[in-house]
Amino acid sequence: MESSSSRRRFLAAGLAIPAAGLAITTDDKHSQSPSPSPAPAFPKGTTPKLTYRTLGKTGLRPTEVGFGCMVTSDPSVIERAADVGINLFDTARGYQGGNNERMVGAALKAKRNSIILSSKTPAPTKEEALKDLDTSLRELGTDHLDIWYLHAKSKPEQVTDGLMEAQNIAKQQGKIRFAGISTHSGQPELFPAVIATKHFDVILTAYNFTLDPNMNALLKSAQDAGIGIVGMKVMAGGFRQLKQDNPRFDIFHRDGAMLAMLKWVLQNKNVDTTIPSITDLDQLDQNLRAMSEPFTPADEKLLAARLEFLRPLYCRMCGECDGVCAKGLPVADMVRYVSYAEGYGQFAMAREQFLTLPAHLQNVRCYDCQECTVTCPHGVRVVERVSRAQELFA
Amino acid sequence: MKPRAAGALAWPAVYCAAILCAAALLPAEDLLPRCDVLPDWKQAGAARSYTADTLYDYMDGNSEGYLIYGFDRMRGVTCKSGAVSLVIDISEMKDPESAFGLFASNRDPRVPTEAIGVLGQVTPQRGIFVKGNRFVEISASPASSDHSTEIRAFLKALEGRLDGTTSPPEPVGWFPAQGLDANSIRLIPQSVLGLSLLKRGYLAKYDFGRAFIVKQPSTDSSMQLMGKLRDKFEDVEPAAIGDEGFETTDKYLGHLLFFRKGPYVAGFTNLPEDFDASAAAEVFAARIP
Repeated sequence: MESSSSRRRFLAAGLAIPAAGLAITTDDKHSQSPSPSPAPAFPKGTTPKLTYRTLGKTGLRPTEVGFGCMVTSDPSVIERAADVGINLFDTARGYQGGNNERMVGAALKAKRNSIILSSKTPAPTKEEALKDLDTSLRELGTDHLDIWYLHAKSKPEQVTDGLMEAQNIAKQQGKIRFAGISTHSGQPELFPAVIATKHFDVILTAYNFTLDPNMNALLKSAQDAGIGIVGMKVMAGGFRQLKQDNPRFDIFHRDGAMLAMLKWVLQNKNVDTTIPSITDLDQLDQNLRAMSEPFTPADEKLLAARLEFLRPLYCRMCGECDGVCAKGLPVADMVRYVSYAEGYGQFAMAREQFLTLPAHLQNVRCYDCQECTVTCPHGVRVVERVSRAQELFA
Repeated sequence: MKPRAAGALAWPAVYCAAILCAAALLPAEDLLPRCDVLPDWKQAGAARSYTADTLYDYMDGNSEGYLIYGFDRMRGVTCKSGAVSLVIDISEMKDPESAFGLFASNRDPRVPTEAIGVLGQVTPQRGIFVKGNRFVEISASPASSDHSTEIRAFLKALEGRLDGTTSPPEPVGWFPAQGLDANSIRLIPQSVLGLSLLKRGYLAKYDFGRAFIVKQPSTDSSMQLMGKLRDKFEDVEPAAIGDEGFETTDKYLGHLLFFRKGPYVAGFTNLPEDFDASAAAEVFAARIP
């Protein structure tokens, strides 16, 4: 939970899609060079159009769409992805209790030399990280990783000298080629600190259409420093996994929204590649399309509609309303309690959380104020939602 | 040496006594693990509480591995005794099948399971078990030591405090025993065999290939599904297994035989070319009610 504060300040801070799209550069690091491997299995007798970008100063040339193996349960999907030419595969020590690395290793055994393989360690110390690396190599059945990430760092102080030393040792021993760091939150503080170390070759970062538009400046600063950028959570953080009875399910599954999300990320040339989760052959084929189809105004309209739907209801936890309520209410938390109750049917839990508020805050009523001091920059109807919390839980 | 040996022998007795004391069932709505179920253990820091909406705050992207199995909520504490820390989390899933699914995806198939709840597993730094719709996990540190004794004691204490079934989901028992790696049976939450048509079902490894079973909402829909599967593959040969079946070869699924029995679609994949798939499938079909 320590990281939640910075996450709240940053995650999803902007609901607006950058209207004209992000600055799209055309340089020779992005190209449509031929697939390094044949593509025998793409459906309907066609061959997928694969595009590649150079991953920062590493010189690696991953396909723009890679493969996040985290929730993949069948190795045949990974095998087929490699067959059609996807060449970047990502896993982590902790995924599926360690079973994921074993499956990925077995699926890619015959292709090891033609793919880019990455894994991660969440270990907090040098010794534990190096132990994790040896386990990863053993489970993956390889003698080296192309990229080894320090996993899920959100604060500069988590990036310790010991962990960077572990990566240096691993490089010297030939167990890894490049040092990476992965981050889901806290990017405004973390990116400058990571760049300043001059240690990292690659940053794996959450990046999707719901995030703060200011994120692009951070990506560019890393690119300018020669650090490769890999985008994850490109489908807005697991919306693909939503249950069918979840009110957001329809919103994110209609009209090709998932493909639009991936294309939205790929239009940003400060992102070198992506690792969307893929669980079946249909998703794989859909993701391959993102490399050959441009992000269109229709896609933009589609995503904007999704955001417009979410805007009044869902707090993006940007922190802009912290301390703004004249009565001292934790506005973001109260909006979240309402979405627990109404969005997820978790009334008891929502009320339980509301009741953890000090008594004087539980007794505040929005209608006692003539005018609300809180204006959500992202369009959440604050008075309506906070009043609803008071109505439901107080 | 003597006092140390005696001390070591005394530990299980102390743990067992503690387990008996802690046997009262918790109210279903109170999932919070307790540290004082064992002597000398104290809670460190605040208790944790997460829902599907906030689990990301706790475990970042790893939360997807829980959400995909129908995660509802989690309560957790960190317990300390001396230099040893145990991070204990209890996840409540939407149903016992989903909890089993999360357990099976997290267990190490190379390590034996134990009779804790439906099933449990303990390794030097980690312990898990499933009971009813709850999935319990404990991670121990420091990683340099073997904490399996403490982990096992906590798991058993927690098992006594949780209600719910101790039987695995029915389909787990339908896989034929011959050649089966029993530790390999998993609930695949979506896209069994990597096919989006097979939405959710069980998968098991055999020494000669893999077997799966998927339940459709009705016999009609399973008939439709079989039709779509038949269309998906090339050069299918009919197979008289269950209500209907077919056999073919696929680049990734190898030699396969799919059959339907009532609302169930099941079969074997990745079989050796000369394997008698029909014989194996007949045994499988006979076990499906």
